[in-house]
Amino acid sequence: MLELRDISVSYGAIDAVECVDLSAAPGTITALIGANGAGKSSLLKAVSGLVKPKVGRILLDGEDIGALQPHERARLGIAHALEGRRLFHQHTVEENLVTAWHFRHPSGDFKRAVDQVYANFPILAERRRLKAGTLSGGQQQMLILSMATLHEPRLVLLDEPSLGLAPIIVSQIYEFIRGYCAEGGRTVVLSEQMASLALKVADQGYVLRQGEVVQSGDSAQLRGDGVAGAYLG
Amino acid sequence: MVFFLQMVFAGLSVGAVYALIALGLNLTFWTTRVLNFGQGSVLMIGAMLTAVLIAYGVNLLLAVLIALVAAGLVLVVTEMVAIRPLLKASGSMGWVVSTLGVGVFLQGLASLVFGTQAVAFPDVLFSSSATLQIFGAWVSVQYIAVFVISVVIVGLMELFLRRSTWGYGVRAVAHDRELASLMGIPVRKVVLLSFVVSGVLAGVAGILTSQISGTVDPGFGLHLLILAFVAAVVGGMGSAVGALIAGLGLGVLEKLIAGYYSPAAAQTVAFVLLVVVLAVRPQGLLGKKETVKV
Ligand SMILES: Nc1ncnc2c1ncn2[C@@H]1O[C@H](COP(=O)(O)OP(=O)(O)O)[C@@H](O)[C@H]1O
Ligand SMILES: [Mg+2]
Repeated sequence: MLELRDISVSYGAIDAVECVDLSAAPGTITALIGANGAGKSSLLKAVSGLVKPKVGRILLDGEDIGALQPHERARLGIAHALEGRRLFHQHTVEENLVTAWHFRHPSGDFKRAVDQVYANFPILAERRRLKAGTLSGGQQQMLILSMATLHEPRLVLLDEPSLGLAPIIVSQIYEFIRGYCAEGGRTVVLSEQMASLALKVADQGYVLRQGEVVQSGDSAQLRGDGVAGAYLG
Repeated sequence: MVFFLQMVFAGLSVGAVYALIALGLNLTFWTTRVLNFGQGSVLMIGAMLTAVLIAYGVNLLLAVLIALVAAGLVLVVTEMVAIRPLLKASGSMGWVVSTLGVGVFLQGLASLVFGTQAVAFPDVLFSSSATLQIFGAWVSVQYIAVFVISVVIVGLMELFLRRSTWGYGVRAVAHDRELASLMGIPVRKVVLLSFVVSGVLAGVAGILTSQISGTVDPGFGLHLLILAFVAAVVGGMGSAVGALIAGLGLGVLEKLIAGYYSPAAAQTVAFVLLVVVLAVRPQGLLGKKETVKV
């Protein structure tokens, strides 16, 4: 369970996020919908700890995590897949997975976790010895998702996971996300510019404009309100 | 031919030390994008402390150990007072001045405490008169020991970076700090670790060079630092083995030029090489292209 209370984020004089309240329940997918610059990434970064909110509280299963460093939050079970295909491009696929695994003090078995990744995305098994930078955009996104979910975190934040990908890959990736979320009550929060796409996969949505939540509700309701038709990008 | 070989062996020996220093410079550059211009003084501190402690009758191994711990500490303190505070203001280049300042300060401190005179460096590794004949050329056993120790350490560093968990941490932080922290990597600890290791490498390099030169003084280290910097750049910022090959090549080149032409020309050639490499291949001859995320 993720709860944000009155979160505001600023970069100097720029207010990126203003007074956002949000809650995301286990076993559900929450979409942050908004145009470029609406504050989606900043909000996700506040949750993972990459930026420090000016005010507000962040609760993970009731515990205030606001004072923790990003790596401490990662170890508590918060995974954050950044926008823009951020991975270790000069490391091989397998080295990326090793890096994603070891520092989170996982209790499970690395071998089993990696086998699971390769079962989910067989193409990654084929490319395991290649530099991550040489993969196609879709394969990179698969690797990023696998790195985020490798140690089965309870909260997964995904920043524009579909951006720039072919529709067939997007549905494959969304299917994976839905499956991951449904298993064992995990919480997923993802951001998208395309409302129609986001509302297809998400259970509920928050529409952001210039850092503020202007609409929220479950996906059916938002679709009914005509949010899905608007391309917010 | 014998003279040629002698120059080559001497070059391999000093070149291996350049590689050690280059690797130390690289490590902290990877994790912070800062070049420590004070590294030369860390070499000096390592060598000076060893020489002075041994002169006071401290056991050899203990003296080396203390010197290396001191060298590691000096770099950690450098990071805390002269690098980290200046990186807070993003895009600041203040570290150029502040790291240079730490170097000058250490040099001044050493002059105050130990005097400005060169101190004789004791025989830590074998005797300076011990020699071996290789292909007809007489080579000092110390040269061989320095070479072997340096190459082994570079090899261990490569293994550490490629195989150990913390090595993965260093490479991850080098590549993308934010992403590394999201992977659960304690970035701050990794940065400090890189400074400790860099300091120890510099300390070892200082001791090894002084072993060859026979003396150490507070000004020692600058010339080495310049050549190591060339080795780091030529070898590519991102490769321990690259630094080794570049260091060895540079050492041999330096000794050959010094032996056949003049010692003064050696440095000039090193700089010409640096400029040519930077112009032709900015990522170094053996380095990988960096994609620095901002
Ligand atoms: N590091 C930063 N420094 C300054 N301003 C930033 C930074 N990151 C984002 N912003 C600004 O904050 C606002 C929100 O950006 P962002 O959170 O990236 O939105 P989104 O992810 O929805 O595109 C924008 O006006 C953007 O220019
Ligand atoms: Mg964004």
